[in-house]
Amino acid sequence: MKRLHRFFQTPEAIAGALILALLVAIALAAPLLFPGDPQAIAGPALLPPLQNWSLPLGTDRLGRDVLAELFHGARTSLAVGLAAAAAALLVGAVVGTLAGFAGGLIDEVLMRITDAFQTVPSFLLALAFVSIVGPSLGVVIAAIALGAWTGPARVARAEVLSIRERDYVAGARVIGMHPLEIAFREVLPNALPPVLALSSVIVAAAILTEAALSFLGLGDPNRVTWGGMIAEGRTVLRTAPLLSIVPGIALVLTVLGVYLAGEGVVESTAVRRSLS
Amino acid sequence: MSGLPISRRGLLAGSALLLASTALPAIGRAQTPKKGGRLIVAADSEPRNLNPAIVASNGVFFISSKVVETLAEASFDGKDGLQPRLALSWEGSADGRSVTFKLRDGVKWHDGKPFTSADVAFSALQVWKPLQNLGRTVFKDLEAVDTPDKLTAVFKFAKPTPFQLIRNALPALSSVVPKHVYEMGKIEDNPANNAPVGTGPFKFAEYKAGQYYRLARNDAYWDKDEPYLDEIVYQVLPDRTSAAAALEAEEIQLAAFSAVPLADLDRISKVPGLKVITKGYEGLTYQLVVEINHRRKELADLKVRQAIAHAIDKDFVVKTIFLGYAATATGPVPKNDPQFYTADVPIYPFDVAKANELLDEAGYKRADDGKRFALKLLPAPYFNETKQFGDYLRQALAVIGIDAQIVNNDSAAHMKAVYTDHAFDLAVGPPVFRGDPAISTTILVQSGIPDGVPFSNQGGYKNADLDALIAKASETLDTSARTGLYKEFQKMVAADLPLINVAEWSFISVARDTVGNIANNPRWAVSNWADTFLAG
Amino acid sequence: MTRALTLLRRRLVGSVFVLLIVVIGSFLLLEAAPGDAVDAYIVSTGGDAGMIELLRHRWGLDQSELTRLANYLWALLHLDLGQSVTFSRPIRDVILERLPSTLILMGSATALSFGLGSALGIYAGARPGSFRDRFLSIGSLALYAVPGFWLGLVLIVVFAVDLRWLPIGGIETVASAKTGVARARDIAAHLVLPVSALGFIYLALYLRMMRAGMAEAWRQDFVLAARARGLPRRRIVLAHVARNALLPLVTMLGLQSAQMLGGSVVIESVFAVPGLGRLAQEAVAGRDTPLLLGIILVSAVLVIVINLLVDLAYAFLDPRVGAGEAVA
Repeated sequence: MKRLHRFFQTPEAIAGALILALLVAIALAAPLLFPGDPQAIAGPALLPPLQNWSLPLGTDRLGRDVLAELFHGARTSLAVGLAAAAAALLVGAVVGTLAGFAGGLIDEVLMRITDAFQTVPSFLLALAFVSIVGPSLGVVIAAIALGAWTGPARVARAEVLSIRERDYVAGARVIGMHPLEIAFREVLPNALPPVLALSSVIVAAAILTEAALSFLGLGDPNRVTWGGMIAEGRTVLRTAPLLSIVPGIALVLTVLGVYLAGEGVVESTAVRRSLS
Repeated sequence: MSGLPISRRGLLAGSALLLASTALPAIGRAQTPKKGGRLIVAADSEPRNLNPAIVASNGVFFISSKVVETLAEASFDGKDGLQPRLALSWEGSADGRSVTFKLRDGVKWHDGKPFTSADVAFSALQVWKPLQNLGRTVFKDLEAVDTPDKLTAVFKFAKPTPFQLIRNALPALSSVVPKHVYEMGKIEDNPANNAPVGTGPFKFAEYKAGQYYRLARNDAYWDKDEPYLDEIVYQVLPDRTSAAAALEAEEIQLAAFSAVPLADLDRISKVPGLKVITKGYEGLTYQLVVEINHRRKELADLKVRQAIAHAIDKDFVVKTIFLGYAATATGPVPKNDPQFYTADVPIYPFDVAKANELLDEAGYKRADDGKRFALKLLPAPYFNETKQFGDYLRQALAVIGIDAQIVNNDSAAHMKAVYTDHAFDLAVGPPVFRGDPAISTTILVQSGIPDGVPFSNQGGYKNADLDALIAKASETLDTSARTGLYKEFQKMVAADLPLINVAEWSFISVARDTVGNIANNPRWAVSNWADTFLAG
Repeated sequence: MTRALTLLRRRLVGSVFVLLIVVIGSFLLLEAAPGDAVDAYIVSTGGDAGMIELLRHRWGLDQSELTRLANYLWALLHLDLGQSVTFSRPIRDVILERLPSTLILMGSATALSFGLGSALGIYAGARPGSFRDRFLSIGSLALYAVPGFWLGLVLIVVFAVDLRWLPIGGIETVASAKTGVARARDIAAHLVLPVSALGFIYLALYLRMMRAGMAEAWRQDFVLAARARGLPRRRIVLAHVARNALLPLVTMLGLQSAQMLGGSVVIESVFAVPGLGRLAQEAVAGRDTPLLLGIILVSAVLVIVINLLVDLAYAFLDPRVGAGEAVA
């Protein structure tokens, strides 16, 4: 409770939390408010906003309801962001823990692989991966995670290195626990907080990467995404600018919300730490 | 350059009031040919091989056709739709075994050597027949080219070959390259493939990868008055929206091949100083086609194919996806073809009830969730419109209870998936009609084509009657009999639906008012631009 | 100096392994791709079965994967990057032609985001928690949240089309035959928009890091001591607080270098800059495996070299030196 209170101390964190809450509400409400396929043709093409109250934001190039697309797009953007971040954090934490706990050759090999991934621009990697495997939601998530797990891996390793010599780890060794069990039962959970602190940055980056991939035509064609909407809308950027501005603003707000909320969490925990 | 636009803009702003009253004379002035100037054109891709004798494709022609000329060019009013270029006349023998070309005198290659019949013989036998993407089919029976004198080339065919086909193939397939440049070493590795040498009105000057191609005036061109322009520069603009911006910013003067997206044309036509031109592509018709994999048991059923044809609202496609810059299709030959087209074929009007009925009859009843069966739909990624039509088709099929899942691939993966692996149920393709069904149209439905051949029947469709008809037409020499057979061909294709022709479209050019003599032949964008000029 | 040399040696040995992993990994990834260079090529030409077989043979695509990987690595040992199948030219030449554009774009964008970011960071961090601090930090974050391609499109419409202050794209005026100063000015004018689009996005990173570092530094003993001594605030901010907060930013420079290159893929495409990012995209689309390997290799080497330089710089700018001086 106290922590929650501390989280809401800065206006930035409040704003971030509000944006995220709104976004989650939109994502949850999408199938209720706009049942059926959001990509279905709902009216005449390129209907301007505020002309027809059943289509408040108008329609796109094919006559699809922009508001319905926007709502359903929130689901995809959030799903991609969260899933990619979860995958990146999981892989990173496991690799980092293994490397830090095992040390020696395993550490060396794992860290060189991490280096290799870090030297290749992650967007280039994602671009190549999606072009090659073919764009679907799962592939896009995997491609983003592929370029994002190295940060968590490094942080986890550094944290594990400092934890591994602690008393309770030595204790676990003494009672004969399997090293892997020690690594994942005792060490990993304790190394997790600083790794999780990276999650907001990764979620935000994932949402932006998905948008950029969609912009280059590498999004899942069977789902509405904001990036895909911008990409579609940019051919009519001058004639119907709102078609790309509206999803653009949604994207910026979401990323901003994720950052601000994430920062609020980090700060509130940091304050707690420095107090304790 | 950086200082110029500002002063010009100032001028325009200052004379805005005057402009309204003097608009007509301004347009009139643009029509007076004028010598000199640099025309800057948008290019959206960079062809790797610029030799049009090897790669007969519009991407290559767009640049190379100004450098390397063909024997004849397409024409709005010439006999058989042709006008002379390197050949002055062409005559086919009655037995279909030979074609005689009389060549233009006094033509010189860009390196100063004279152009002779030996060059034509070399190009035909060493390049078109063995190496060219289209020539390998059309010239497959070419046996020899006799050169009785320097200005006569006689093509000899092993089997009777319709003269009509050869004639129709001339504008795209007959780029003549210099023998003396290509006779040493392997033709495919010749450096001239990247810096072509020809007889055209412009010489290839330089290429900066990722930036531009520059062509310079050929002062020794055979037509003494032409070309008008000093230079043509192709500025590489990979992004789809940048051509419109560059036109408006007066950085380029011409964007051909619909480099300005269709959806932007309405707005850009109202920008002062810019004009939208829909002519000049009559000879380059692209067809929007639903390719069907007949290996799927549902799609092997004619009723299902008919249902799909009835489910597609062709008018909507033309109006919404092509914004009116297209025509609905009835069959495998486009409506604008003057020689072969027939409207007398079975048609499939947009009728959802009929489509549902046909599917019910075929035995594919709707399940509880309203769906009959699921399909994999692969729209070709090459054009914005093919992708958009894929999105539309998915919706149109959903209405009749067919659940189509779109698979987006990039070009290479699409090629492999559809034409080699056959990993598709429906695909959206943009085949090109090249003036004669035998060049690249019959191959779309003919059986027995090896796996991996692009833009061909890879859907496993087999119809012995249709194959026989195609074979018969390919050896019919009499023009009207041959034309009749191709009309029959259109009927059979429209009746049995090996594929569904949805629409036919061409491209749009946007240019500044100052660019003159645009679109004066049916293949203008890929012709030699000798008479194109810049006024003012 | 010996410390720097040890670091250099250790890094170089490690780098060889890293590069080997990068090459083999990328090769396997590309081999898994559906469609090869021939499939990509015939999209624009069409052709019959015989022609396709001919092309596969000419481009060496009928050999086994292992043979091609072995050949590639063997050639690489001789510092030969091979031949590009789509450009039919040596890959070294193709890459060298594009490298300057990318380097100048990335260099300028980094300089912009680092310079402006740290300067604004100092301005914001001079009074932590103040209005300008909050405003700058949120404003820069909003910029960071803007997709780069979107910012690029808007910049083009506003500054190149409507206002016509700047060219819409490219690295220089095409076929202008400009030389010397005129050419440099021309290139600079072409760089303004893409550099802004790329640089403004990463601005937030440096700004916020600087600001956070400064907030931290204000609480440090030596700053408290300096304040107790009654030094002017301006001097404390610049000489003590900012100086100490600058070091992590230098590390960030190294870490960001790889990401900048990724971000430039989209920016280069929007602004028609003939750089490595766009070349990479073309290589993927054209299934030009050796070319993409070459690009990845060159960019990996670039990233490794930048990080090495950053590490060396760090070794010279040891934080304790600054702190010690401040206390003394």
